[in-house]
Amino acid sequence: MTLFSLARKNIARNFSQYFLYIASMVFSIVIYFTFVTLKYSDIVSDMTKSSQKMGSLMSGAAVVLLFFVAIFIAYSNSFFMKKRKKEVALYALLGVRKRQIGFMLFFENLLLGVFSLVIGVFLGFLSSKLFVTLLIRLMGYDVVAPFTFSTEAVINTASVFLIIFFITSFQGYRLIYQFKLIDLFHASKKGEVAPKPSWIVAILGVISIGTGYWLALQNLLTSEAWRILGMFTPLIILATVIIGTFLLFHSVTGFVLTLFKRREKWLWKGLHLMTISQLLYRVRGNARTLTVIAILSATTVTAGGAVYSLYYNINDNVKLTDPNTFMYEQTANVDNEKVTSLLPNTIYDENISALFVTFEAKQLDSAMGTDGDKRIYTVINETTYNKLAKLQQKEELNLKGNKATMIDVQYHESLSPKYAGKTITAEKKGTTITLEGYHEVPVLNLMAGMTLVVTNEQYKELEIQGESVQFRAIGVDDATTDLSKKIASVLPDKAQFSSAPEDYQNGIEGMGSLLFIGSFLGLVFLAATGSIIYFKVLTEAEEDKSQYNMLYKMGVGAREMRKTVASQVFVIFSVPLVIGLTHSAVALTAFSKLFSMDFTKPVIIWMVAYTAIYGIYYVLTVYSYNRIITQNNKREG
Amino acid sequence: MESLLKIENVKKIYGKTSNTYTALENISFQIEHGEFVGIMGPSGAGKSTLLNLLATIDSPTEGKIFMNDKGIHDMKEAELSDFRRDNLGFIFQDYNLLDSLTVKENILLPLAIAKVPAKEIEQRVQKIAKVFGIESLLSQYPYQISGGQKQRTAAARAIVTEPALILADEPTGALDSKSATDLLESLSSLNENNESTIMMVTHDAFAASFCRRIIFIKDGKLSTEIYRRDQTRKEFFQEILDTLSAIGGEVDDVI
Repeated sequence: MTLFSLARKNIARNFSQYFLYIASMVFSIVIYFTFVTLKYSDIVSDMTKSSQKMGSLMSGAAVVLLFFVAIFIAYSNSFFMKKRKKEVALYALLGVRKRQIGFMLFFENLLLGVFSLVIGVFLGFLSSKLFVTLLIRLMGYDVVAPFTFSTEAVINTASVFLIIFFITSFQGYRLIYQFKLIDLFHASKKGEVAPKPSWIVAILGVISIGTGYWLALQNLLTSEAWRILGMFTPLIILATVIIGTFLLFHSVTGFVLTLFKRREKWLWKGLHLMTISQLLYRVRGNARTLTVIAILSATTVTAGGAVYSLYYNINDNVKLTDPNTFMYEQTANVDNEKVTSLLPNTIYDENISALFVTFEAKQLDSAMGTDGDKRIYTVINETTYNKLAKLQQKEELNLKGNKATMIDVQYHESLSPKYAGKTITAEKKGTTITLEGYHEVPVLNLMAGMTLVVTNEQYKELEIQGESVQFRAIGVDDATTDLSKKIASVLPDKAQFSSAPEDYQNGIEGMGSLLFIGSFLGLVFLAATGSIIYFKVLTEAEEDKSQYNMLYKMGVGAREMRKTVASQVFVIFSVPLVIGLTHSAVALTAFSKLFSMDFTKPVIIWMVAYTAIYGIYYVLTVYSYNRIITQNNKREG
Repeated sequence: MESLLKIENVKKIYGKTSNTYTALENISFQIEHGEFVGIMGPSGAGKSTLLNLLATIDSPTEGKIFMNDKGIHDMKEAELSDFRRDNLGFIFQDYNLLDSLTVKENILLPLAIAKVPAKEIEQRVQKIAKVFGIESLLSQYPYQISGGQKQRTAAARAIVTEPALILADEPTGALDSKSATDLLESLSSLNENNESTIMMVTHDAFAASFCRRIIFIKDGKLSTEIYRRDQTRKEFFQEILDTLSAIGGEVDDVI
């Protein structure tokens, strides 16, 4: 029997430990391989050819993914190696040379890596089919995903992971040189001293986060701070928030827990003492890991939330840009009959008269600078507006005292001009129009241009001062893109055909790929975040199991132990989550202000989803923790 | 005959510049072939430090340790590994068995490391298992057997290579008196019949009474030394207790 065969036996019998490690490697490979397969697949590469945005998005995402996978594997590797310290030290003590042990660890690691690679690629091949289908569904294509196997993807994945495994294996080789044999031989534990929380550090942390939040919530255009800091502002926000989060974990939590420690009536009841003391030590000792987790959660939720919100809002956006299902200008060579023959039952089908009038509009210079003094507006009268508004089930307008109103769909408090009270003058004959303000509800599709609604009298006055046009606005229920394409084919370019289903499709295509990449990366980040805490907590469980054994011997019941474990792990999980969610809530508020969109609903959906999956990790971790200590208790008696 | 182990003026200081702690000072003694030596002393006297130095997992600040006239701390890493493999056997207080290997596999691990042929391994394992009375447990796993049985397994593992010196660190520390007696009797018969050299660190006077000679350490220095000679174990036990109270060992530590 050789050392090699003993080591092999050790692997076989310790399979549960190895399983966790192999599983996390396989998981990383599956994710990466799926992503690369998508990148090389015909469908996606066709799409990336047609849209550069998508192509660079895919490449960028691949880099982020790679970076993440590498960190994740390194993390689980170090966890795995820690568990084997005892075995390795024993070999060394029994006289195996360090170099021999190093080589053993190196090759074992490399073998495990290759093994996981084969499984990972196989599973990734299966899952890529699922993901391609999903991607296509999200992007609104009706094609069945072909079952492709891409050699390029295999080569890419294999070379990337072999490099990663080579590096981690080398770390395994170095392990034996890193620690001292004496650590094992006399298992004298070094006294662990929890550092004292400092008021100054705590206050600095709160100030740092506060500064970041304040900067993020400033109005981008009017803020002094943004003007002075300029392009660096986002970086400063990031830095202050990250540093603040770290200090928060380092000191503020310490204070809170010390506060608990003072309440002796509560503290000296059951295992509360144990729970709080353990946490006091753990939270501060793990400040760095907890910061990483909080920031990762914040990034995932923010990015995912933003993308999901945009996706979620596509429908609303289309309703704003295209209030009519179809609309076109009835230019000279338009065949209205042909269009009519294509149409199914319509809700309405109207001819709209409008004017293109050039105005002197110096007073409407916006914060964004001058757009030139002369501007062409599409003018319609009140009757036309109200007729369409009624058909589209919108509120009617009531213009008072000969004043006009501007329809500004994308009104932005600081970007758009202040309309109320301003006057514009028609270029030809100098008719002056006074604005009573703006109105955000459109009745014409965006292709018609900026719309000015005037009273019927004013309209008559302006009729001779502009070019008169006829639009055809059509409302259809459940219009398809096919119908839209058919209509577009019979209309000349000049008619500026605009179609709600087509714009919707475009929006979904663009956002769908973003959403897919966003949720895909979100999934990876989430999995990695969860796994990092999982590994971390379980390492601690291994260290603490003798303490629980002592408690067990002192007569503490299994239920009480489960309770203290559950609440300790709960704090470790929930504190970074809460902080991460708060960060992303602030970031998304800033984001929604910038886009002047309401993100509340999609963001809440996204956050709940994130928390739910994160919760599964919590349950899993508590379960494994309990299993470790009960097993140990049974064994040690 | 040359002494097996020669310790000359060994000093061990922990810590750097300020805040140093002298664990051992001016320690010199010899151990001959076939001796069964106990090292006794109160907690913190430096017993374990001494053992670590002998085990080559720590090195002295000053002084030298020779084994068969070879300075063990002058060796290089690779040489040291071989030295440990060929000359030393360890018994730990907390056994240090690998949970994933059976009792038999744990025992044969050092032989496997030394690349002994499989046939010979089988013979030697069977022989040593008989000495420690664990033949029936060979196919069990460490978590299936009792603490005493674990410690006998660990002792069998330490001895199976027939090392020149067996180092035992509080081997009875975690055992009940019956298991402790079984283990100590095994060690003592091994010493008498096979002329194995054993050095055992303990603070338990009962365990120490199985030794042939006892070296007392106090505050990092050699305090005194007693030999069992022709005394019965009980008489020797009484002498140990007397010596301990004479040098002022903590009463708590004695029993």
